[in-house]
Parts: sequence; C-alpha cells; structure tokens
Amino acid sequence: MVDVIMPRLSDTMKEGAIATWHKKPGDEIKKGDVLADIETDKATMDLEAFDNGVLEQILVQPGETVLIGTVVATIRKAGETASATPRVAVAPTTIPEPAVAAVSAAVQAAATQVQVASTPVGAASSGRVKASPLARNLASTYQLDLHAIAGSGPGGRILRDDVEGAHHKGNGYAIAAPETSVVAVNAAVQSVVTQVQAIASTPSGDEVEIITPTMMQTTVARRLTESKQQVPHFYVSTEVDMTEAVKLREQLNSKLGEGGVKISFNDLVVKASAIALERIPEANTWYKDGKFYRNKRVNVGFAVDVPNGLVVPVIRDANIKGVRSLAKEAKALIEKARSGKLRPEDYQGGTFSISNLGMFNVTQFQAVINPPESAILAVGAIIEKPVVVNHEIAVRHRMSLTLSADHRVLYGATVARFLGQLQTLLENPFELLG
Amino acid sequence: MTTLTYRQVLHDTLAQEMTRDERVFLMGEEIGVFEGSYKVTKGLLEQFGAKRVKDTPIAEEGFVGAAVGAAMLGLRPVVELMTINFSIVALDMILNHAAKIYYMFGGQTPVPMVIRTPGGGGQQLAATHSQNLEVFFSHIPGLKVVAPATPYDARGLLRSAIRDDDPVLFLENLGVYDVKGEVPDEDFDNDYTIPIGVADIKRNGTDVTLITYSRMVHTALEVAEQLQHEGISCEVVDLRSLRPLDMPTILQSVRKTNRAVIFEHDWRSYGIGAEIAAAIQEEAFDYLDAPVLRVAAAEVPLPYSKPMELAAMPSGEQLVSAIRKTVSKRW
Repeated sequence: MVDVIMPRLSDTMKEGAIATWHKKPGDEIKKGDVLADIETDKATMDLEAFDNGVLEQILVQPGETVLIGTVVATIRKAGETASATPRVAVAPTTIPEPAVAAVSAAVQAAATQVQVASTPVGAASSGRVKASPLARNLASTYQLDLHAIAGSGPGGRILRDDVEGAHHKGNGYAIAAPETSVVAVNAAVQSVVTQVQAIASTPSGDEVEIITPTMMQTTVARRLTESKQQVPHFYVSTEVDMTEAVKLREQLNSKLGEGGVKISFNDLVVKASAIALERIPEANTWYKDGKFYRNKRVNVGFAVDVPNGLVVPVIRDANIKGVRSLAKEAKALIEKARSGKLRPEDYQGGTFSISNLGMFNVTQFQAVINPPESAILAVGAIIEKPVVVNHEIAVRHRMSLTLSADHRVLYGATVARFLGQLQTLLENPFELLG
Repeated sequence: MTTLTYRQVLHDTLAQEMTRDERVFLMGEEIGVFEGSYKVTKGLLEQFGAKRVKDTPIAEEGFVGAAVGAAMLGLRPVVELMTINFSIVALDMILNHAAKIYYMFGGQTPVPMVIRTPGGGGQQLAATHSQNLEVFFSHIPGLKVVAPATPYDARGLLRSAIRDDDPVLFLENLGVYDVKGEVPDEDFDNDYTIPIGVADIKRNGTDVTLITYSRMVHTALEVAEQLQHEGISCEVVDLRSLRPLDMPTILQSVRKTNRAVIFEHDWRSYGIGAEIAAAIQEEAFDYLDAPVLRVAAAEVPLPYSKPMELAAMPSGEQLVSAIRKTVSKRW
C-alpha cells in the first residue's frame, strides 16, 4: 500500500486543500496520472500519482484543508489485497507521545518547563536541522533557534544568508532561556518603541534625549517584534459581568484576619483563566516549527509593570491552587518583581499570560503574545455601566476581556469557547473557590 | 620589471645560483650537450663546464643516489628528472634516503639537494608519461615539495630550494614552461627569495576560495575573471608549496569566503585536495557554509587520444560548474 501525501508545492506552503478528486476509489492509477487538484496558498496545482496501482481510499474530502505530509489517499499496488480496515487521514503534526513525555520530564526535572530552547523539546521532537556549520555558528552567536529558520540551501539546508536574514528581520526563535520572560503591556512597549524610533530617525540630540534601552527593554522590543512579525495574531473580545465577582471579593476580603492577603480582581482573573485553560486544553497549546505542543500544566503569567520595563512572573499550576494561596503567591511575586529580585524560575515556564490594565482605568486593549505561548488575555477596568438585565436597564460592573491568539494553533471557535468559559467562571465566581 | 618565460627564469636562476655558490651543480639526462629536454639548461654546459653540468646515463636511481651522496658530502646538487614519471625509478633514493638520512643519522648530515622535474598531462604522451605524482612526495616527511605557477614564484622558490638544507622536490609542469610573467629587473632586485611553505593569494575575492597550484593556477584565474561578470567573486590561493602546506593562509581565506573549491591537476582521491579539504573541516568547520568541493583529474590512466586525454584532465568548465554549485543555493 502506498500513501499519497499532501505535497509541499511551494516554499511558503504549510497546508493544502483538495479541490477536486479526479479519481475515485477502485480506479486504475498510472504513475503520472493527475489524482486531484490541490489548492495551496498561491495556486491550484495537480497532485500526480508516483506509483501504479488502484486507488484504494480517499482520506481527505474535497474542501478539506490538511497539513503538508498528511496522507490524503492510498494506492494499492499490484498483488496487494484490499485493506480490511478503512484508514483515516493522519496529520503529521500530531504531537508525538515521546515529545510530550520529554516535555513533562523536563518540567518535573527543571521546573522551568516548556521554554522552547532551554529544554530538550526542540531536539527531541523537531528532528535534525540541516544547517551549514557556519549557519549553526551564526545562529548561536545571534541566539537564534535554527528550527525557526527556513533553509534556502540544497535540500533545505540553512545557510549563512538565511540566518543573517532572520537576524536582520528579527525572525527566528530567540533562545530564550536566560532572558527575562516579558509580555506586552501596550503602554510600556509603546514607550520603548517610541524611544527606539526616536533613535532611528533622529541623528542628533538637539530635540530629543537619546536613551539606550536597558537589556530588559531591548529584549521586550526584540521579542515582541518577533512575535508580531511571526505569530499571526487575531483578537476576540467579550465583556463580562463582574457584579457577582465584586460582591464575592468584598466578602472574602472583609473577613480577612490580621496579616491576611487581600484577593485582587487580577487574582480572580488568573484563577478563572487557569480553570478555563484546564477545560479547553487547546488554548494551552503552542505552535512551533510545524508542531503543536500541548502543555500538561497550567502556568499563568501576569504582566507586572516594573521600573524601566515589565516582567511576567508565573504562577505554576494555577488551576489547582486555591484563590487565597494564589493571591498570596501573586503578591509575593509582585513584590519580588518590583524590587528586582525575581529569579528565572519565577518568570520562566509560563503557558499563558495575562495583561491587566484595569488599575489604569483602561477599558479595552489588545496585547501582544509572549512567545512561545499562543495566547494572552488583555483585561480592562471594571466599570459600572447600564446594561439590559432581564429586559430592564440595570447598572452593572462590567469588564472587557480581549484574547490575542496565535492563529496557527488556535482558531476563532476555540477562542470563543475559552472566553465563554472565562465569562461563566467570572460571572459565577463561587466556582473559582472550588 | 621584465617579462620572461618560466623556462627562461629557471635557466637564469640556475645560472645565478651556480655563479653565487660554487657547490651548486647540475645533473640529469641530456641536460648538457642536448641542453635539456625542455631547454632549461641551454648554454649552461658551455658557461660552467662539464664538471658542474653533468650528463648522466639513463639510470635515475643511480644519479639521484649520487646526488644524495654528493649532498651529504657538502655539495648542492640540482638534479633534473626528465619527467616526474621517471622519479618512480628513483623512488627508493628519494623517499628512503634523501628524505630520511638526516633523521636516521641523528642530524649528523643534512641532504641539501633539489630535484627539478616536470609533470602533468596534455601532451599526448600516454599513461606512463603524463602523471602528476606530487602527492607521492608530499606524503613523505623529510621532503619539501614546491610547485610554483609563475615565473616570479619559480625564481624565488628555486633560489630557496637550492639554498635549503633539506631535499626539495621542485615541481614544474609541461604546461607552464611558456607562461610569461613579470620578474624584477636584474640590476636592483636580483636576489629575492620566496620562503618555502608560504602560499600566495593570486586574486582577492569574497564568495569562494579556489585553492590550487602550478599550472591550474592559470586556469583558476581565468575562471575567476569569467565568473566575476556573473557576480561571483573568487579568491584564488596559489599554494606554491605542497609540503609544508600553508594552512594558515588557506584557512584565513576560507574563513573569509566560507566556501572552498580545490582545483588540482592530479587524480582526485587520496590527493592534495583531499588533504586540504580534511584540514579545512578540522580547522574551519564553523566557517563553512557549503561542503568543500574538489575538481581533479578523472581516475583513469591518462589516455593517449587527444580528445580523451582532454576529457580526463580537469578543466575550467568543471571548475566553473563546481563553483556555481558551491555558491548556488540549489544543487
């Protein structure tokens, strides 16, 4: 039995759709016969048979889009008997078990979890990268991950030009291990970007003060540029009713004993996100180099504004932590962040991030994804406004949520379901205490 | 500067060295009365007399051995082997005696001798008379091997070879005797030497390093010129010395261009090019953006038939295609 796979028909092609099948199961196939028309990102092209035989099964129906390498049909060669069990189309990007095991092992061992290049994940799951020795050396100098760079050389080998190109364009995964994990609070990023632009366009210091960004600011600028350039962001917004959450929080905090930690709205959002991520694991999955990596843990990072930058400390296993202990941990992390005492294990290994500008009375905004995560939640201020409740106008506490998501791994409906879960949880906040 | 042929420069340099140092004498078949098969020794018998320009019998092992003895006893023989193919007859003298005596007798006596000999095909001399055996000699510790490509280098290296206390194989090529080139005028700079073991960058470039020597240098330079019009910038490294090899110059160039093609007249396998390719990957691995390629002769006894002989020898076309391959992104 010969597998007919979705071929790679152009450099940029990642997936293709079967437009039309020209053969049906049982048809005699000769090498070179056009089996189907394939729609790629650029054009419709012929899918030719590479073997003689009989078309056994069609696994991908017209209109279906599948990744390159997916088996779309099978051909039975002369002398073979018909297959008893029908097969299904198998996408090559399904995350292999050993890779997941490697991820969890790394998580357990290092507690720094799925930081792309700092764990054996890339090596274990993405296979060998073809690169010239020079390209490897340059990638190491520029701290770029070769897995994220397309090779233009013979057989896809990555050459110097490819690495230089990725370096200049800011493509390629940064090898992030020792760097501060940072995320977008648009205001802060904007200020860094503005400074950088000022430096770029103003050669003399007469009208501007030229400020050299700190390492953290440089990292923010580079990583978020990479994120916006490489990750296809899309945004889904909703508004949730926080009236019950406001009441619950008041109740919880009013009964605090001496020295108790107050629960913030952010803590509630962190907890709600963690539960939602547990329920919609697709949203806790990231994409790299043609593969999906589904996190087995829920580690929620939240952006903290610190002098000259921002950091994203991470609350590990936020889904299984109680709100009070979560709040206590968050408070400690914020204090550490503000006093510059965060350790790498405090900010590495996040699987999802939250950026909350509610305290600045921002009502709605969009955040930039913190790679390699696939989503970031932008949380606005809780404001009282008139809404229709039970056919009557009522004043309620409303809060906007906008999820920025990586469209390579997350789709609109998934994000909508995720936001729906968040909404349900925040509007019925007693669920968060479970 | 004066423009002279390679042949003329060898002649003049031999005469100068014989004048400069009376220990220098010449030996070889037909170098005296007949003035040399390639006329390098034209007039030297008349000028220096039969004591210093010795015609020998057709007995390479004998007269190379005699040269080894003469060198051990303080003279500086310059032996002409009519072609490198005849060196095989004298191989025991060259690799067992000339090369090893200094080591085997505890440095008691050096063997300061030069063996001049042309190699290479393309003259329709058939398989046994058209060989490039330089790798045989370059393989032997104790021998120095030089293979200059230009009149300028031939003069500087012949002087160094004659003045060197070690045995030196001075490789000529049937294809370079008529090559013309500039050498300094006799009056004000007649005593320059070129150190053995120092390569020369004959052309600067940025995209690929062509490593070559002797006759192939000229083809490589033509190819480099031709490819310049296509926007491919070739750096041409002329080895000049095959032992010792000037790896620092080679490596410096490869680290600059990140690509290398080795172009040699010799057979491909186990050759000079193989040695250099291996050394490059040992020393400059992190600088390579493409595999090191070799262009060399077909691995056959060289045919007599002219078209077949040409087909078997490495050509500029093959070099062009290797260069295009190495700089191309799609093979």
